Parts: sequence; C-alpha cells; structure tokens
Amino acid sequence: MINPLDWISHVTSLLVGELQTWIFVTQVQPVLYHFHLMVDDDFAYDGVLWFLAGLLQIAVVYAVLRPLEALRPLEIWPNRRAVRVDVLYTFINRLGLINLVLFFTLQPLFDSLQEWLRLRGIDNINLDMLWPGVTDRPLVAFLIYFIVLDFAGYWYHRAQHQIQWWWELHAVHHSQRQLSLWADDRNHLLDNVLMAAFFAALALLIGVPPTQFVALSLVSGALQSLQHANTRLSFGWLGERLLVSPRFHRLHHAIGYGHELGHQNNARLYGCNFGVLLPWWDVLFRSADFTTPLQPTGVRAQLPAPDGLGEDYGDGFWAQQWLALRRMARRIAQRTTARTTDSPRKPPSGGQTA
Amino acid sequence: MRKFLIGFMALLTHIGLAQAQSLDDVVVVLDSGDARITLINQATRQTIGSFATGKEPHHLMATPNSQDLIVANAVSNGLLLLNPKTGQPIGSVPNIPDPYQIGFSPDHRWFVVNCLRLNRVDIYRYDQGKFQLTRRIPLIALPSHMAFTADSKTVYISLQETNSVAAIDLLTQTVLWTMKVGETPAGLWLTPGDKTLLVALTGSDAVVAVDPRTRTILKRIVTGKAAHNFRSMADGRHVLVSNRVSNSISILDMDTLTKVGDITGLRPGPDDMELSADRRWLWVTFRFARSVGVIDMTTRQLVDVIPVGKSPHGIYLSDRAPFYDNLPPLSKLAQRVAAAH
Repeated sequence: MINPLDWISHVTSLLVGELQTWIFVTQVQPVLYHFHLMVDDDFAYDGVLWFLAGLLQIAVVYAVLRPLEALRPLEIWPNRRAVRVDVLYTFINRLGLINLVLFFTLQPLFDSLQEWLRLRGIDNINLDMLWPGVTDRPLVAFLIYFIVLDFAGYWYHRAQHQIQWWWELHAVHHSQRQLSLWADDRNHLLDNVLMAAFFAALALLIGVPPTQFVALSLVSGALQSLQHANTRLSFGWLGERLLVSPRFHRLHHAIGYGHELGHQNNARLYGCNFGVLLPWWDVLFRSADFTTPLQPTGVRAQLPAPDGLGEDYGDGFWAQQWLALRRMARRIAQRTTARTTDSPRKPPSGGQTA
Repeated sequence: MRKFLIGFMALLTHIGLAQAQSLDDVVVVLDSGDARITLINQATRQTIGSFATGKEPHHLMATPNSQDLIVANAVSNGLLLLNPKTGQPIGSVPNIPDPYQIGFSPDHRWFVVNCLRLNRVDIYRYDQGKFQLTRRIPLIALPSHMAFTADSKTVYISLQETNSVAAIDLLTQTVLWTMKVGETPAGLWLTPGDKTLLVALTGSDAVVAVDPRTRTILKRIVTGKAAHNFRSMADGRHVLVSNRVSNSISILDMDTLTKVGDITGLRPGPDDMELSADRRWLWVTFRFARSVGVIDMTTRQLVDVIPVGKSPHGIYLSDRAPFYDNLPPLSKLAQRVAAAH
C-alpha cells in the first residue's frame, strides 16, 4: 500500500522538477546563452529550484497561517497597511534574490578561502559521514544539520543584538510593530547578505548536501513565519520547550524587554528568547523566558518621549534601508569618538606621572 | 526437427545471454544534484536502485585494470570505488580535493584531477591503486574537461571562464601554453593520431578544431547551441557532441571536420554519453530533465527515457564500446602497459 505522504512527496517532487525544467529551458537558459553567461548555467538551474521552492513555501505558509491570523488574531489592528512592506521583503528574500547577490559577490571569495584552507590541509568536516551507515541516512543527517545550524543561529542572533552597529541593521526586523506571518523576512539587505554568507560558509564547512540545504532552508523559513504570525496558538508546556513557538518568539520582540541586550549605553537591559528554531539553547545559556505575559512589539527608541526617543525607522522599503545605514554609521562614529575620548593622554611635559 | 532444435537452442542461448546481461550489466548514473547514484539494468532499462555517494558526483571512469569504477565526488573531496559490473560500492579514496573531472594518462602513470571550484589541476602518481600527489598546478579559471595525447606526454585542459585551453607537459608537470579558443570551452577530443584537438564551446554553437602543434584554430564547425561534450562512435571516423541548449547531439566526421548529422528531439540538457558495445544504443544524461535517454543509433531516434535524480551528469555502461578515438581500448592499453613494465 502506498503511503500518502510518500505519494504527496513524490508527486510534488515530479511537479517541481518538471516546472523547474520548463522555466529553466524556456525563460532562463535562452537569456544566459544570449548574454554569454553559459558558464553559470548549472547555478542558474539550481537558482530556479530555489525560486520555485520559495514560491511554494510562500503559498503553503500563506494558505495555512493567513486563515489562522484571521480567525484567531492575537492583536486586532485597524488595518494591515504596515504589513504590506513585509510582503515585499518576503518575496525578495525567499525567491532567491539574496542568494543571487551572494553568488555574484562572495562566491569567488568562498572558493579562494576553500582553496586556501585545503592547501593547508584543513578539510570540510562532512558531519553526515561521521558514522557511515547511520549519520548518512537522510533523516539523521537532516536532524544533525538542523541542530548544528540552529546552534550557530542562536549565537549569530545574540551577536546581532550585542554588537551595536549590527543591532542597528537588525533593528529593521524589530521595528515592525504589527508582527504577522510576513514579518520574518523584514531585514536589512546588508544583514541578509551577511547572514546568507555566514550560513552558506558554515554549511560548506560542515558539509551540508545541497538538497538538504534547500530542505533545511524551507523548514526553517516556514517555522519562522509561524513564529511571527499574529495568532493565538499554544504549543503547550512541552511543545514550547521543544520548538520555538509564536508566543516564545513574540516575547523576544517585546518593546524594551525581549531584545535589548547591551546596546543602550552599554548597559545590559534584558534580552531573552534568542533561539531561532529550538529554545534549547536559551534554556542552556539562561536566556529563556517562558512565563512573562505577552507585550506590544517594536523597538523602544520608536516610542514617543518620555518612554522612547520618537525615532523614525521608516515606513517604506527604501526608507527603512537608508535609515538603518544612517543609524549604523552614527553608532560607529559614536564608538570611534568614545574611543578617542577614553584613550589615555600623554601627560603635559614636565608634569608628574603616577 | 533438427531446425527446430537449433532454433530452440538459439532461443535458449539468447534468453540466457539476456538474463546474464540483465543480472550483470548495469548503467551507473551520477545524480550530481542529489549526491546519489542511480543504477539501471542495461538490458531491461529498469531502475535497479539508488544509493548515496559523496556530494556533487560529476564524472566517473574505470581504473586502468578495469577492476574498479571511480566516482569523483567533487564537494566531498574523495573518490568512491564501485564494482563496474554491479555498480555496488567496494571502497573509497579520501583526501582527493575537489575531483570534478578525472583521467588516467594512457601509460597509467598519472591520475589527473581537474579541481573546477579550486581553479587548479592536481596530478597524482598512480601505482597499483595508490594515488600520490606530485604537483598542484593553478589554472585560472574553471578547469573542466581534459584530453590526453596517446604518448602520455601532454594533457589538454579546458578553462571555461577564461575561454581558453591549456596544455600541460606531464613529464615536467608544467603548463606548456594556453590559448584562447572561444566562448566557455568544455569538452575536449583528440582525433586519431592526435592530429586535431576538438573543443566544444558551451557558450556558442560550435566546435572548434585546433592544431595543437601550431596552436591555430583550423576550423569552426557549427553543431548546435551550447556544444558541450564528446563521445566516440567507435568507428574510427565519427564523434558525437552533445548540445545542451539545442537539446541535440551532432555527429562529426573527424577526417573532414564537418557535421554529418544531428540527433534531435531530445530532452533538455543532453550532457555525457555512453555507447553500448554493439554500437546500437546511445545513452545520454539529460542534465536539466532529471532523466537519461536511450537513442537507437540505427534510426537516430530517442526510444526510451528513464527518470533518475536531479542533475544527472556522468554515465557509465559496463558493456560499452571503446570510449576514445586517439587511444586503443582500455583492455589493450592495459596489456601494452603491462608488457612495457
């Protein structure tokens, strides 16, 4: 008897495969050939798969989460105007545009780095080959890479909050005060490229196979959309501790509570629930909060005085991108000034030294 | 009655042979995008199974003694050894960085690896199954295919990104020269007597014929869009070239350096090819269609399409016609090398 899940997986794979071929052959390959870019045709073929997988993911996520948002909303908004820009972010990110930029800008650097490492005898780790016959089984390998990449993601995310100039880029993500299924991809483009480069390099280092990387990205993207959805959805006591839930992640987005870690006058405020998909790392490194009631989301500096600074984080795509760069430059300049001010001065000539 | 008995015996023999072939002869297909190998029964064309190999397996070839079939797993930095008859794994060779395209010099002394991603060619001394690195030669950029001269003195390497071909002297293991040949060169082919070097231009619609002695382009032979790889027709005169955008295979006459025919109506991305020992069936991987095709060479029609994994690239038939035109068949070569030693 045919397993229905296997059948769905088989049919989806066939349909996606046929679509990938059709789009590549009719739309992409002629352009590559015409513009003398055939050297990249393998990459472009894979790119079409990323595009289709992203499209499929958006469709499935929307079909599942949008009704939930409509039927069981957590926050009631007068309108969804503020959400529109996040839709644009989602399409840019999940349809492979960032990967395209990454390929043309950083791939040569990656290859040179790999060559440099290999010439010094430093090999890829290939985690799935640690225990042949066990770790190379697709599901086991998937789980290993899922956990390892998520562990890296936890520390990466903490660094985004800890390093002040970086926080100003990441603040684009946190500046959304109406969290919805679309909010996950609202990120600064530079932050996106940095993240994509980091995870691509890590994936290469630990030997994630290309198909697993696509699957990992799809699962991760879908779960992160769920985390941001504006819906009342409980994972239960145990579920909350196994997988990052919308409630757990929403607390991370809470104004002045969940995400302000050492970026205001270098003071450690709060900061909790940094886990990307697994809350285990927050539990292990004591940054988990499962109990505080939910609060409004956003960045404290957005609030009008006296609670905040009334800072504008922008409504449109380009405004958000530009303002983040300006804030980042300001942070770097402040830090440079602070360093100059703090640096020990030479005692005046003839003066005494302690 | 006697006629009937002879006929019956012949039928039994035929069935026996067919069964023997169905039991033994496999087609090995490298699904480069899935990091898997698909095995197909060469006689029945039914998929026997598939199993994981290393990441990005692109090309494969038999060892000089034909005992092992080497699968080059480019991103896993290693070689997987298969039984060429059954396709089952029998061993591995780790620490061969980025083996994209591989080849043995005809004297079996050198094992050459094109490291496409790392922009270099690694040369290993090959001795009874052992690979010892002797030289790394940086080559900018994207070294992809190779062709050896019959005297084992020179190996030619196509450099896809810089639109050129390099010649490496295998004795001194240095680059002799490089020359521009045209847009995105891929497959290389030496005609009998090493007279002419054919270069398939994937960024164009042609094969260029190069005189490697004078380093001049003799002729440009229009084939089809994105000419990519070669395979001998094993008749001493004709060679096949796959055209990845035109979805066709062209037949070239190596004496006159002209195109004498086309096999059209193929699925997207025809790439590597293999010819059955009886020269009747041409197998070809369809890189962008997750399948391999079987072409009847008597009618030049695609007669079968077999689904495989993603981005099928290298293909190997255990029951195959000689592969090269400038070199004797592997078995004769092995005897000759053994005698010389």
